Amino acid sequence: MPLDIPAVRLTGIAPEIALCATALLLLVIDAVLGERRNRWYLPALASIGLGLSIYFATEAWGTTRLELSGMVAVDGFASFVKITLAVFGLLTVWLGRDFLVRERAEEGEFYGLVLFAVAGMMLMAGAADLIVVFLALETFSLALYVLVGFRRRSLLSQESSMKYFLLGSFSTAFFLLGIAFVYGAVGSTNLYGGEDGPGIVSSFMATGASDVGLLILAMGLLIVGLGFKVAAVPFHMWTPDAYQGAPSPVTGFMAAGSKIAGFAALLRLLDVTLYPLREDWRPLVIGVAVLTMVVGSVLAVVQEDVKRLLAYSSIAHAGFVFTGLIAANDRGVSGSLFYLATYGITVLGAFAVVAVLSGRDDEKVTLRDYRGLFYDRPLLAGALTLFLLSLAGVPVTSGFVAKLVVFGAAIQEGYWWLAVVGMVTSAIAAFFYLKVLVVMYMQEKETEDAERVRSGPLSTGVIGLAALATIVLGLYWGPLIDVAERATLFFAGG
Amino acid sequence: MSEWPFLDIVVFLPLAGTLLIGLIPRARVGALRIGALAVTVVTFLLSLGILMNFDTGTADFQLGTSVEWIPEWGISYITGVDGVSLWMVMLTTFLMPLSVLASWSVERRAKPYFIFLLTLETGLLGVFVSLDLFLFYVFWEASLVPMYLLIGIWGYRNRVYAAMKFFLFTLVGSLLMLVAILFLYFSFPGSPTFNYQELLGTPLSLGTQRLLFLGFFASFAVKVPLVPLHTWLPDAHTEAPTAGSVMLAAVLLKLGAYGLIRFAIPLFPDAARELVPLVMTLAIIGIVYGAAVAIVQRDMKRLIAYSSIAHLGFIVLGVFVGSIQGMSGGILQMLNHGLSTGALFMLFGALYERRHTRRIADYGGVARSAPVLAGVFLFVALSSLGLPGLNGFVGEFLVLLGTFFRYRWWVVPAAFGIILAAIYLLWAYKRVFHGPITNDANLRIPDLRPREMVMLAPILVLIAFIGVYPKPFLDRIEPSAQKVVDQLRDSSALPEAAVGDADAP
Amino acid sequence: MTDVPPGYFLALAGLMFTIGVIGVLVRRNAIVLFMFIELMLNAVNLVFVTFARMKGNIDGQVLVFFVLVVAAAEVVVGLAIIMLIARRRASANVDDVRLLKW
Repeated sequence: MPLDIPAVRLTGIAPEIALCATALLLLVIDAVLGERRNRWYLPALASIGLGLSIYFATEAWGTTRLELSGMVAVDGFASFVKITLAVFGLLTVWLGRDFLVRERAEEGEFYGLVLFAVAGMMLMAGAADLIVVFLALETFSLALYVLVGFRRRSLLSQESSMKYFLLGSFSTAFFLLGIAFVYGAVGSTNLYGGEDGPGIVSSFMATGASDVGLLILAMGLLIVGLGFKVAAVPFHMWTPDAYQGAPSPVTGFMAAGSKIAGFAALLRLLDVTLYPLREDWRPLVIGVAVLTMVVGSVLAVVQEDVKRLLAYSSIAHAGFVFTGLIAANDRGVSGSLFYLATYGITVLGAFAVVAVLSGRDDEKVTLRDYRGLFYDRPLLAGALTLFLLSLAGVPVTSGFVAKLVVFGAAIQEGYWWLAVVGMVTSAIAAFFYLKVLVVMYMQEKETEDAERVRSGPLSTGVIGLAALATIVLGLYWGPLIDVAERATLFFAGG
Repeated sequence: MSEWPFLDIVVFLPLAGTLLIGLIPRARVGALRIGALAVTVVTFLLSLGILMNFDTGTADFQLGTSVEWIPEWGISYITGVDGVSLWMVMLTTFLMPLSVLASWSVERRAKPYFIFLLTLETGLLGVFVSLDLFLFYVFWEASLVPMYLLIGIWGYRNRVYAAMKFFLFTLVGSLLMLVAILFLYFSFPGSPTFNYQELLGTPLSLGTQRLLFLGFFASFAVKVPLVPLHTWLPDAHTEAPTAGSVMLAAVLLKLGAYGLIRFAIPLFPDAARELVPLVMTLAIIGIVYGAAVAIVQRDMKRLIAYSSIAHLGFIVLGVFVGSIQGMSGGILQMLNHGLSTGALFMLFGALYERRHTRRIADYGGVARSAPVLAGVFLFVALSSLGLPGLNGFVGEFLVLLGTFFRYRWWVVPAAFGIILAAIYLLWAYKRVFHGPITNDANLRIPDLRPREMVMLAPILVLIAFIGVYPKPFLDRIEPSAQKVVDQLRDSSALPEAAVGDADAP
Repeated sequence: MTDVPPGYFLALAGLMFTIGVIGVLVRRNAIVLFMFIELMLNAVNLVFVTFARMKGNIDGQVLVFFVLVVAAAEVVVGLAIIMLIARRRASANVDDVRLLKW
């Protein structure tokens, strides 16, 4: 019997392959060339790998098809998320370079792990089967667990890594059980279905409503697993600790990257595959969204550590993105993408400032350390002000536009009260952003530092780029929202 | 009509001026002051171009530009002035150089101070000229940040608390307004747009109108402020530096009243008409409450702050009473209050620089050492309490007249408020400037310096001028005021007090 | 020997999963915690196999292999992290982790 091996097309996962190959190459080169004072070639290589993946993702823009036996979707949505993730990766690598040089840490491993994490996140965006979502989730999570513990001298960092790991695996088990229930309810785990087998919804329609209870239970479990990654309440407990313990560049990357990756999977799962069942999952997601907005905003108010504060802020932002997801219309999906992209850049900028200011061992991160910053380092403080105002959603920043579009989507769908909840929690959230401003502008510095923190050229560049993007997208966001809208032409399949 | 887009240049010139200030080294405080003064004076001179090119005969928007901004969302950059906003723009550009003069004593961190002050000016001007709801909201929020920083950095002891309170109160209100704006945006039947003039015709059910009106009203009522929402104001006024208090009282508070006239009433006329009794009640409560509380204040700046609440109550009363006299009087009173309260804060700021105390009891007999200061203060106080012949009288009289035509008995508590105003202002004047000298420091208070004279003289001239000859001002206000009144009265479903529909004052 | 009905397998899996959850919530030793998480994963594997049998396709059995591989990868990373801390603190009890608030 002749064995018929089908031709395998790899355009769908070319960006991921590029990243993994680069990461492996990085590790080899680092090992071969050994200890050198200046290992500039490592970040350069990592940047090339990320650049390549951007190229491949751009190539795939405009096509919509399934690849690898219906396991991976190639569509505008995936491309948008992948390009965004690669940009986050670039910023993280550059930011990480200054951090690693300062801390004299292992460079090769860091870049390698960042690239693997980006690859995993990218796979989340393209995953067309729940099992691929699971694999992608684990790929980037495992890389992140290690990255969180990357401050080798700090016990705090390692403990937060352990906590993140334990809670992460715990939530993964629930996610997996969700997949098993989906499989049990409909006999398939494919989001679309195709020539290789039926998808979740088509099987569901075929079997009738007999197992709808199991399917809804499964949906709940899947939301638990993904909600954990995007830091939704009540699955957020790891967030403040992991954010606080991780090196600042990694924290920025986690906030930006795992949020967009988790939401990419959620958007594809809920707003595309399970769209016909939206009336069943909406109450659950609305509950999570409201809780997330409220808890994130309220708990942030009492934080004294800037990184913990930004962690709670990131929780609140997950809630805001949920409003776009709940709307489940084109504006909601494109708005969520826009929100996640701009939020990521802003939050990376904010953590870049934090990384620069935190000094040796990454330890000066409490509000006390920011006293009178504006009079000491006006430009850094100004940039941080811009980022915080953007997170707070004040006009002329990208954060305002992002809030506008997701809340607008919710209102369009009739959920105006959800928008009101969002606005009220935004106001609460504004309080703690203002608290940082109070410290920076309205308090006096306590002691003169012996050593003045220095901002490396790459960090300065990252901060500058992020600030520029924050303000430009706040004034003229037409092109980006346009791209995000075209990215929502999902592969509908079936 | 002019070829020059005066309006847009005026709005953005101060922002451009911040670049100039940014180039001056921070140690050169003198140069910073002169720079800020130059920018604001040039802005004012250019704004005279708006005044000269303004066409009195029409209620339409003038002198504006319209450029597409984000066509995908129907957002445009549309500006323009009418009789309502014209005087607000002029008031802002007029008071700003004076505020810079009043800030002469700011030595500490002068550079960011002037940068924030100029940014604030652009924000405020932008609010008054925006004819696109999105643009309006952007300016509305953007003016918040510099004011917040001005209060929080250069204010007095409780400045951080006051600044926070100011920001959060305003923010909560404006976010509710944002929801309402978005709701309106999606209710518009045509292609999506934020254009104010197009949105005016949006068909809405009364229930929806009511909700949306309340959304806008929440935001504007905080800014005005109307009584249950006023608590941020005494704190912010008291703790702000002098120029901050001046801009707060003179311009920022007007944003609320302006928003009611420009947006809340024309966009949702039916709901506005229905809620007239509620708003008027709040306004009357504000008048009486503000005045009564002002009487018992021991802190001079708090006293002026509460007097503002009373005055703004008058303005809102005039706006909602639904007659042309009330509306024109209210709008004129916005200008008047800006002038007289601004001057009061400047005068007291000058006094504070000399004695460094805000407690009324610490003063007494100041008139002996500083007679000119005392005289000017008395003059401004008389204007504020509505002495005939000065500007306050014209505005308040028109408001009362308008009220009388429509709701006869509501005049009584309003007039009572005027009497209370006379009590608190004159009593405060007496305690500060006359009476026995209890503290020797009051004997050595220097009189007004030339710079302060320069800063106050233009205001005094205007106070007297409007008091004697308000016609040029009212001429420009009336067409636009009439338009809003028509919208508010549309189907005359009001409990009509059939007396006067007299349209000519 | 008679066939065991699939419901029994599911019940067993449910029991295992529940024991795992309770264990994670009540035990404090990081390694024991980790073992309970593994128990949960294995419960899921059992569910997959059972459903595969019920549905009559082998997708579920294939999924089990993925889970096994991933679980192995998790062990590698997880044990390394736990060991690192245990070496520094001479304890693997998560309650000793006091630098962070839970």
